[in-house]
Amino acid sequence: MSDNTVDQGFSLNCIELQNYQQNRYPFLLVDHVDLVIPGKMAIGYKNMTMNEWWIPVHFPGAPNMPGALQIEALAQMLTISVTTIPGLEGRFTRALDYKAKFRKEVMPGHRFDMRVELLSWTRGLAKGIGVGSIDGEIACETEMLITIPEILDQYVPKK
Amino acid sequence: MTNLEKYQQAFKETFMVDDDKLANLKYQDIPEWDSVGHMALMASIEEAFNISLEIDDVIDFSSYEYGKSMLSKYNIDI
Repeated sequence: MSDNTVDQGFSLNCIELQNYQQNRYPFLLVDHVDLVIPGKMAIGYKNMTMNEWWIPVHFPGAPNMPGALQIEALAQMLTISVTTIPGLEGRFTRALDYKAKFRKEVMPGHRFDMRVELLSWTRGLAKGIGVGSIDGEIACETEMLITIPEILDQYVPKK
Repeated sequence: MTNLEKYQQAFKETFMVDDDKLANLKYQDIPEWDSVGHMALMASIEEAFNISLEIDDVIDFSSYEYGKSMLSKYNIDI
């Protein structure tokens, strides 16, 4: 990939994005990345269907995407904005802190559009914000702090 | 604000500790000074003194007292 492509961004289909996001079915919550600018931002989506694993139980007769999974999907998108930085492909991440607001139900038939912005990536810590939308209306907003543990561990004092 | 006050404020704001807890404070002495808290402290000190810490100094910065002497390397006297 050329330096120009990294700076301008690129898209990732459902197979390509798995190089940068280590979750797998049934917990991979990103279907497509429309645009990722490594180290800066990512835009993409997940289509919601009646076949999601949580639909039978959340809730019977009133299916919707749990808030925790909306946050998880946005965190997975944030991870992609980090792991597309050259040298970080395939790294595993760990959640540290989230703050979220939920405004609209996400149901089968919806497309959960995600936009994340990586505010800082320093010493193994990624701080970002994410917005999940349905038809242009905000469903979820979250502030996120995640880490790549093997990088964070390089910077901590050794006892 | 003196350099000492700025240095102490970085610790107090990051870890929510009082002045009397600072003198003997070391990495992992309190739950707040874990790996994530350590990076937050480093960022706070860098911002307070407008410096960029070298990786070895980030790793070696294991106590309140050590940090005070280490900052002289960055021409900051505390």
